Amino acid sequence: MNTLTDRYLAATLRSVPAPRRDEIATELRASIGDMVEDRTSGGADPAAAEREVLTELGNPDRLAARYADRRLQLIGPTYYLVWWRLLKLLLSFIPALVGTVVAIVDVADGKGFGAIGTGIATALQVAVQIAFWLTLTFALIDRFQPTADLPDWTVDQLPDVPAHRDISLVETVASVVMLLVTIGYLPFQHYRSWVRATDGDNIPILDPALWSFWLPALIVVLLASVAFEIVKYRIGRWTWALFGTKALLNLAFTVSVVWLALSDRLLNPALGERLSWLADADNRNVLGTAVAVGAAVIVVWDLIDTALKARRQTV
Amino acid sequence: MVASLVALRRPNYGYALLQRLTDHGFPVDANTLYPLLRRLEDQGLLTSEWNTEESRPRKFYRTSDEGESMLSRLLDDLAAVQTSITGLIQGVDR
Repeated sequence: MNTLTDRYLAATLRSVPAPRRDEIATELRASIGDMVEDRTSGGADPAAAEREVLTELGNPDRLAARYADRRLQLIGPTYYLVWWRLLKLLLSFIPALVGTVVAIVDVADGKGFGAIGTGIATALQVAVQIAFWLTLTFALIDRFQPTADLPDWTVDQLPDVPAHRDISLVETVASVVMLLVTIGYLPFQHYRSWVRATDGDNIPILDPALWSFWLPALIVVLLASVAFEIVKYRIGRWTWALFGTKALLNLAFTVSVVWLALSDRLLNPALGERLSWLADADNRNVLGTAVAVGAAVIVVWDLIDTALKARRQTV
Repeated sequence: MVASLVALRRPNYGYALLQRLTDHGFPVDANTLYPLLRRLEDQGLLTSEWNTEESRPRKFYRTSDEGESMLSRLLDDLAAVQTSITGLIQGVDR
């Protein structure tokens, strides 16, 4: 019993729910028998007729999916656009961010130019991970979300004057998440950094002395930025008042960081014991200057960008 | 689907139904029709029983009462579409 029909049935039934398997097998076998018989009674060769019938029935996996009423798509049209937008958003900055951090850590470890390769490899890994988990999540949502529970769309759900909402929810959520991650990182690095002392104790990245004033002050500024993002979303467009507030917040944060970096007070002095590269005062100066310049460039670029948006949107 | 419900007012089995529909101008693929019959049965629009008297066991489907009421709704819809199309065509001609 290993005819083409047997093999076809086995391939089809493999992915049909078990309780119905026998019944479908009997019916499908009878149907195939009918179809073959119909062709042979017309004078066709039985083997050729069987082959023709099975070809007509097509890919057994597709047939099985029809029997099981299963979707042949990973993410359906309901969620595709959300998935696509989120994927683009996450891939646009997280891999680059993580890759850069890893590369900087490697440089601090004294690995030199090899750090660039490590950074790129890490960024690629992170990108693959993001794409995989996001897609998996959406595929599961798409399969198990009981659509009956979704409220019907009503006219009331239309956003106020959609054409003039220049600040999107996605953008706001991304900003708030980034801010919260930054706020969370400050205490986190104190207890769990990737650097360990020779006795296995954790060495904070940032100078613990900063906790007396600077770090709490920075956290307050960051929290204010979170509030600002929410207010900005409620207003829905850039205004000059918003621009001024943002400029103040950004300057408060950046000037503090730049000043700390330039006066070599940002990093924990204890790091020098573990990372020989940091023990050298010249190297620390280079790093401090790099941090300061980087922060300044980012804030200036951001302010110019915001000013352009504000000018465009207040017209 | 409408055609299947109409044709199965008289009990029939998969392949014979397929031929009958094809003869009446509804060419339907076997790999679409067989799973469709299953689904209609699951939805209670068809009832079925096994006939083991013939050379091979066959599952005969028949349109159920629920299937009949669904069918009449669908036929009404079709008639309404037909009326609208006809009206539109005549309206354009005018």
